[in-house]
Amino acid sequence: MEAMTAAASTKIPVPPANDGRAGKYLAFQLGKEEYAIRVLKVREIIGVQEITTVPQTPDYIRGVFNLRGKVIPVVDLQRKFGFATTENNARTCIVVVEVASAGRIMLMGILVDAVSEVRNIAAGDIEDTPDFGRDVSVPYLLGVAKTKGQVNLLLDIDSALQTHEVEVLSSMAVS
Amino acid sequence: MSNQANRGLEALINDQAVRLMMPGPDVEAEGWQEFLGDLKQLAEAQGRADVSRLASEYLAEGEASLPDMQQQLARLQKACEGRPAPPAALSQDPELVRDFIMESREHLQNIERSMLAIENDPSDVESIHGTFRAFHTIKGLAGFLEFAVIQEVAHEVETLLDMARNHQIELTGSTVDVILASADHLNQQLNPLEKTLLGEPAPDAPEPHDLLSQIRGILRGDKAAAEAAPPAEAEPMSVAPETVANSAADPAITPPDASELAFPMAEEALVSSSAAPTAPVAELAENLPAPVTAPVAAKPMAPTEIRAVEAKPEAKAPAVSKASAANTAPAASSGSMSSVKVDTGKLDYLVDMVGELVIAQSLVRHNPDLVALKNPSLMRTISQLGRITDEVQKTAMSMRMVPLETLFQKMIRLVRDLSRKAGKQIEMDIAGEDIELDRNIVEALADPLMHMVRNSIDHGIETSAQRSATDKPPVAKVKLHAAHQAGYIMITVGDDGRGMDRKKILAKARDRGLVENGDNLSDNDVFNLIFEPGFSTAEQVTDISGRGVGMDVVKRQIQKLRGRIEIVSVLGKGTEFTLKVPLTLAIIDGLIVGVGEERYIVPIFAIKEMLRPTAKMISTVEGRAEIALIRGRVLPVVRLYRRFGVEPKSQDPEQSLIIIAEARGRDFCLVVDDLIGKQEVVIKSLGDGIRPVPGIAGGAILGDGRVGLILDMNGVFSADQSTYDGANRAA
Repeated sequence: MEAMTAAASTKIPVPPANDGRAGKYLAFQLGKEEYAIRVLKVREIIGVQEITTVPQTPDYIRGVFNLRGKVIPVVDLQRKFGFATTENNARTCIVVVEVASAGRIMLMGILVDAVSEVRNIAAGDIEDTPDFGRDVSVPYLLGVAKTKGQVNLLLDIDSALQTHEVEVLSSMAVS
Repeated sequence: MSNQANRGLEALINDQAVRLMMPGPDVEAEGWQEFLGDLKQLAEAQGRADVSRLASEYLAEGEASLPDMQQQLARLQKACEGRPAPPAALSQDPELVRDFIMESREHLQNIERSMLAIENDPSDVESIHGTFRAFHTIKGLAGFLEFAVIQEVAHEVETLLDMARNHQIELTGSTVDVILASADHLNQQLNPLEKTLLGEPAPDAPEPHDLLSQIRGILRGDKAAAEAAPPAEAEPMSVAPETVANSAADPAITPPDASELAFPMAEEALVSSSAAPTAPVAELAENLPAPVTAPVAAKPMAPTEIRAVEAKPEAKAPAVSKASAANTAPAASSGSMSSVKVDTGKLDYLVDMVGELVIAQSLVRHNPDLVALKNPSLMRTISQLGRITDEVQKTAMSMRMVPLETLFQKMIRLVRDLSRKAGKQIEMDIAGEDIELDRNIVEALADPLMHMVRNSIDHGIETSAQRSATDKPPVAKVKLHAAHQAGYIMITVGDDGRGMDRKKILAKARDRGLVENGDNLSDNDVFNLIFEPGFSTAEQVTDISGRGVGMDVVKRQIQKLRGRIEIVSVLGKGTEFTLKVPLTLAIIDGLIVGVGEERYIVPIFAIKEMLRPTAKMISTVEGRAEIALIRGRVLPVVRLYRRFGVEPKSQDPEQSLIIIAEARGRDFCLVVDDLIGKQEVVIKSLGDGIRPVPGIAGGAILGDGRVGLILDMNGVFSADQSTYDGANRAA
């Protein structure tokens, strides 16, 4: 088997060094910033639905909605990241993403101000997240990409939507 | 990280993912087929057999729905990066192994059923053939996948059955034991395979040596029939402990199974030796009418064997009824009913989609523009659509249901084994095994039922000697009935044994400090004491039961199923437990109530009463907590809007509605704005994305397509107590 793979790899042109971050990303806007998440994480994009609020949840959980018979929670990333939220408008939509949590795949919706486009981001365009010093921690970022003169923050959606433990810990730390 | 050769494949998959993400007319079946074709070609070119096989599999499946495509894409993606090398052997192919496990389990179930039928009627050729075929199939599949141990065991049993088919040996007590033990053993062999499949650490499979030598002993035995068994009779002390020791020495086996597997044989040896003088009598009576008087017939049989009673004329009628009960089961299933295995995920999806269909249908029906048209033919068509939708929904719901038959089958087996072990003659009275319940409920009922049946046999039923002393028929009866009742299933587990002794229970309860005096308790209250944790009246802890973990667990499990359990017992006559469980866990009847802008679903089973309060009814305690005085009873009050932080329509109790509900055995009043309606809803989880919220059991799609939250009364009530603490801490 190994011989076969080796033979196969000689036929295929070897791509440039790849750190696993290059690929297709869906770019979207949150407030004034432009973020991007891996296309493979995205299940679908839909307009804003009627959302039922769930009591006793953190404010960034907007509630739950009905996605063709499934109950899906919606997260407002702007609130989670602590920016001022923008009002819903015609371009506001819900991006349904697949998130891996504790070995399980679950669906979650994220509320975004607008979806821009799908971008092919090459490895060479990606830089590591700059160090903002000790006070600013950005654990949710995979890196920063520059395409067409624009900066995209590559979001690690798995850790951005990480649930229970992290939340409990952070809420304890705040109080 | 991913193999470099994967880049081409990954790029292709990425492109397709982008197309799927933007649902529109361009995501058509052709595009998908084309993509799979391309992918297959590329994978073949790169020698990636696994990916190309997957692609051609999906290609063969033809048209796929959007979620299907997404799922398939995810699998392709995983195949692409996860496993650069294709599996080395067939036994590494998870799909094949999964199918093997499922199929084998099914065969093993049939084997158990057939063997029990054969034991009642050794001339039941059809069952012998069926069992033979089942073992043969398992052997073939195991050989194909190179599971040598399974193959070997199945092979030996197959040989044994082949001889039985050809009347070279007779299938009697101990041979049936061995065959049943082999089936159990194969089942245990499957466990580690399944664990590996799920990615969990797999325990070692049990060793088949003892079993194999037993089977081979019987195989050789058609020349020297008594060879295998008589030593057990001659030297019971040396043989029996050895068997037990063997099973104990093998820590890899899960303990309960191990004791079940090894014990009947060891026990039989002991029993048959200690009761040796009486055994031949029963045997003679038994063997006289037997068609084949082969040397095997000389094999000692445990006097406890159920079949032994058949020879006695007065016991004939019940014995026959038992045989017919056991026989109807295989007859029903081996009929012309054909079935298809479906992934439960697909079923759930179907139920979801049908739910959406119902909502869409009702939106169309009540659309004001359509109503304004006043077109009779259109209205007829729409109501026709409504009826069809209802039918489809009912059918979809019923697909999650399975008959109780397999569960009852397990109990028949358990009674057979336990009765032999305990030396009691027992016949089973089974009814309602064709009643269908939600698969999850049937699974969850297995442990409680098993526990109650064990209790009946161990504590309830007397020994034959005791029974004859009290003028009872020597053959005891264990009853297992199921019946429909008003949307619930009633399952009765009963025995005609000694019944529960009020005095003993009370004495024990006082001993444990569960009651002070208790003389004034009603019988029912006394019996219910056995559901208290740590309560067990068995004077002696036996292998079967009496360790004091038990009925409290049973009760909790039944309650978890939103069910109830009741006891009827008459001293000296017997005990009967009645379980009342819902047909399904997936659907509840709910009342939809409004609080401000929000709507919540209150499960009807939790509601006792509803009323509109008067101003005088509610008063405060220490300025904070509230109580209501309702017909002389003082009940705590929970205002749902305060509990959930919602703005109500009115804070005036006279403008609102009180629901009297039960939580943790106490009644309380829940204040809501108003009642909106009643609906049967499918319970859905809010997902892992949201931490469990106290007071909310889940969500459900309401008639207008919005999500409504289902209240959990226990949570609503007790979380309310703790909000004061929460408020204090925050302040």
